[in-house]
Amino acid sequence: MAHDREVLRMIWEGQIGICFQADSEEIVGLRPEPFYLMVSRLSYLPLVTDKVRKYFTRYIAAEHQEGAVWFDFNGTPLRLHYPIGVLYDLLHPNEDGTPWCITIHFSKFPEETLVKLNTKELLESHYLACLKEADVLKHRGLVISAMQKKDHNQLWLGLINDKFDQFWAINRRLMEPYNDQESFKNIPVRFYYDDDFTYMQKLISPLNEAGQKKNLADLMAELSTPVRKAVGFRTHGICLPEETQLQWMSEHMSYPDNFLHLSVDYVSE
Amino acid sequence: MTDTEETQAPTTTSTTSVAAPPDKDSAKICILLNATGNVPIIKKRTWTVDPNKTVSWIQKFIHKFLKLDSNEKIFLYVNQTFAPAPDQIIKNLYECHGTNGKLVLYYCKNQAWG
Repeated sequence: MAHDREVLRMIWEGQIGICFQADSEEIVGLRPEPFYLMVSRLSYLPLVTDKVRKYFTRYIAAEHQEGAVWFDFNGTPLRLHYPIGVLYDLLHPNEDGTPWCITIHFSKFPEETLVKLNTKELLESHYLACLKEADVLKHRGLVISAMQKKDHNQLWLGLINDKFDQFWAINRRLMEPYNDQESFKNIPVRFYYDDDFTYMQKLISPLNEAGQKKNLADLMAELSTPVRKAVGFRTHGICLPEETQLQWMSEHMSYPDNFLHLSVDYVSE
Repeated sequence: MTDTEETQAPTTTSTTSVAAPPDKDSAKICILLNATGNVPIIKKRTWTVDPNKTVSWIQKFIHKFLKLDSNEKIFLYVNQTFAPAPDQIIKNLYECHGTNGKLVLYYCKNQAWG
């Protein structure tokens, strides 16, 4: 996997331009100008919006200033514990180069639809839980449990401080094949459809029954049913060629939580 | 209110009758609840739940079943390894981490496997 380090770097450097707007019902006095920010696709909204929050606070009614912040796009609340790139690709599938306009709210947190993982501490434990689950799938959890607390910290700090080398110095160990084999036991992957935020997970082996590496065409066949045919996969804003091997994808195109987050295009039969 | 609570509670499986009728329960998922740490034990360990129920729904169910105080929390772990996200659905966990037709969950009142 060392040969394709440029791919890791390109994925790491993926960014999205966001235009944050205030919720007009929360504003007192003059309506503030929007706040523009380039954010990493791999990060999470609560980790990159300290400045945004600070900027809007002075325009917000005093009783809401300390409220739990959340965001929506066209009325859809944005899950705080999904990577920003996943949210963007689900809600904005036709990349047009213009900033993504989302609204920031300081009140009426929608507890029914959004999990309140809104602080760095809560997100960190959620992130570590994702890493553990991914390693259970890849290596029966053996690699992550052999790591020390400081390694877990280094992964998290690498992610939140945008330090590629710091992150990959540890993450590469999670990307080693299982035992003496050439691949993982299973591929950690979450499948998304349309703009629905619920995802599907199932056991996906990197190898077929003959022991050969599977590619995306094999995965399409695996996910297709008599009434619905999988015809394409997208992640990081890219449509993926169907000859791409699953093992290679898992090593190179996973988010920092070690999961592949794939949008699946279906057609009805 | 009692009516909705009745319909929302997981249905009990009789562990003795292996050949359960393949009707409405066939799509449900069998979960095994294990207490860990200083949490009260739920005697009936095997339950069947709707595959689309979330982790937080199971947490609320245990909380209510054990009549815990509102300030007490229930933590849930899959196979003593990781804490699934509150909005994760049982079907996904069963598909990836189920063993012998069951999803094994551990619950406690304090964080156990960080």
